[in-house]
Amino acid sequence: MATDPGSTRSAERAGPIAGAVAVSAAAQRPHIALAHIEKVYGSEHGAVTALQDINLSVGRSEFISIIGPSGSGKSTLLMIVAGLVGATAGSVVIADRPVAAPVTDVGIVFQQDLLFDWRTVLGNVLLPAEIRGLDKAAARTKAMTLLARVGLEGFEHRRPWELSGGMRQRAALCRALLHDASILLLDEPFGALDALTRDQMNLDLQELWLTDRPTAILVTHSISEAVFLSDRVIVLSARPGRIATEVRIDLARPRSIDVRDSAAFVAYQHALRLAIGHP
Amino acid sequence: MTPPATPPSRPARRLPWASLVPSVGYPALIFVVLVAGWEAGARAGLFPRYLLPAPSDVLARCLTTADLMGWHALMTCDEIVVGFVLAASVGVLLAAVIVFVRPFEQAIYPWLVVVQVVPKVAIGPLLVVWLGIGFLPKIVISFLLAFFPVLISTMVGLRSVQQDSVFLLRSMGAGPLKCFVYLQLPNALPQIFGSLKVAITLAIVGALVGEFVGADHGLGYVLVVSTGTLDTVLMFVAFVWITGVSLLLYALVAVVEKLCVSWHVSQRSGPLTRLF
Repeated sequence: MATDPGSTRSAERAGPIAGAVAVSAAAQRPHIALAHIEKVYGSEHGAVTALQDINLSVGRSEFISIIGPSGSGKSTLLMIVAGLVGATAGSVVIADRPVAAPVTDVGIVFQQDLLFDWRTVLGNVLLPAEIRGLDKAAARTKAMTLLARVGLEGFEHRRPWELSGGMRQRAALCRALLHDASILLLDEPFGALDALTRDQMNLDLQELWLTDRPTAILVTHSISEAVFLSDRVIVLSARPGRIATEVRIDLARPRSIDVRDSAAFVAYQHALRLAIGHP
Repeated sequence: MTPPATPPSRPARRLPWASLVPSVGYPALIFVVLVAGWEAGARAGLFPRYLLPAPSDVLARCLTTADLMGWHALMTCDEIVVGFVLAASVGVLLAAVIVFVRPFEQAIYPWLVVVQVVPKVAIGPLLVVWLGIGFLPKIVISFLLAFFPVLISTMVGLRSVQQDSVFLLRSMGAGPLKCFVYLQLPNALPQIFGSLKVAITLAIVGALVGEFVGADHGLGYVLVVSTGTLDTVLMFVAFVWITGVSLLLYALVAVVEKLCVSWHVSQRSGPLTRLF
């Protein structure tokens, strides 16, 4: 699906899970291409290399997840893709254009919902439309549709603090999807939610993603969430973050929660757990 | 997908008068008890009335002097309001400039701190020499006293935004101006209003001090004159007016705050306030 300059090395490293490793097939030009990305943070105690030689290509409409130990620079990588954090070295190319400024054809969901208390739920979802100067009526219709689809019908005029954590994160998801961006970046969006809510959010996200099929990159700590949602899972090593391996997930969509009990799913999880280095 | 959640119904509002009993009734009860005790003490001769006049004396004098005192109060009120509005607008604008223009902060901020630590009361006499005994010196002192808390709080508020919130807005294509309008300013409003409440009381002090130093009008002037003639009843009348003016102005700021930042947690901490 995507050309991955690092896949040869990944395949070498993958060892026991080689069968699950994606075999690159340049079926189409990558939507997002990262080449030799390096990120070094300077501090009083010397430089810390957060990311090293990251080469990664994401195909259009592909859903990939990035997992790895804490401090492996997952979130930093996502912010580099969005053009919000500059890489120390290397290049980011999105739709054949090098990224030099914040990418605006993108919807981002962070771990915190970042809803503004001074706006209603609807006002928060409409924020991107206001800032981009989109047509108000159309944006409003779209926002109402999105809110209804995630079960927030009737809460449009409530304030964020009147909502539960899961509902707030759903509103944040609607905000990210409002302007039909071609890229969806998810930075541990469900990390703060309880397990049951998280399952529901995974189903919601899958359904919303299947509708418009934006290119999606999910950063997560949860192996099962990564396998459930992704076409491909990228494993970063501990600091400095490097791509340790990647695993292609061949499970039919739409996936139900029950897929997690299937032998294939369990095998993927097992392989990824080994790759991260957990016992 | 998600089972449709039904919005919970809002709690039924209590009748308006029911909430007035604790919020108005309790403080009023304390006031009545204290004043009654004071009046009784005065009538029983527990203290000389030329030092501490009875509430009834003060009330009688209030009524006979209402016109004149009302005029003085209006003069003082003008000074306070102009000083306060200047302090609020200059404080907020200067804070915005300082937060946005780094060299400006480095150049001007130390001097603002110097201005703040100089006791403004001390330059009162100098202001009278320079500006006379009209409105201007009172407004200047009022402004100087009130503006610093607004400046500091606004700066803190404008800077207290999460990095991710800025990232979010920038990914929507927002530049610094839109970040300011959509994020920093609304985010700072609770702190700005907190400082405005401090500023209004300081503006009152500033105007009164200005009148102490040299004036021919205003409630501070009445205080100085009544001290000269040992007219304690008139002093208490002036107290009453000053308190009334202060409460009124503070309430105005509080009402505007309520309207502007009703969304903030400080305005809806019902369960917390009920603990006390």
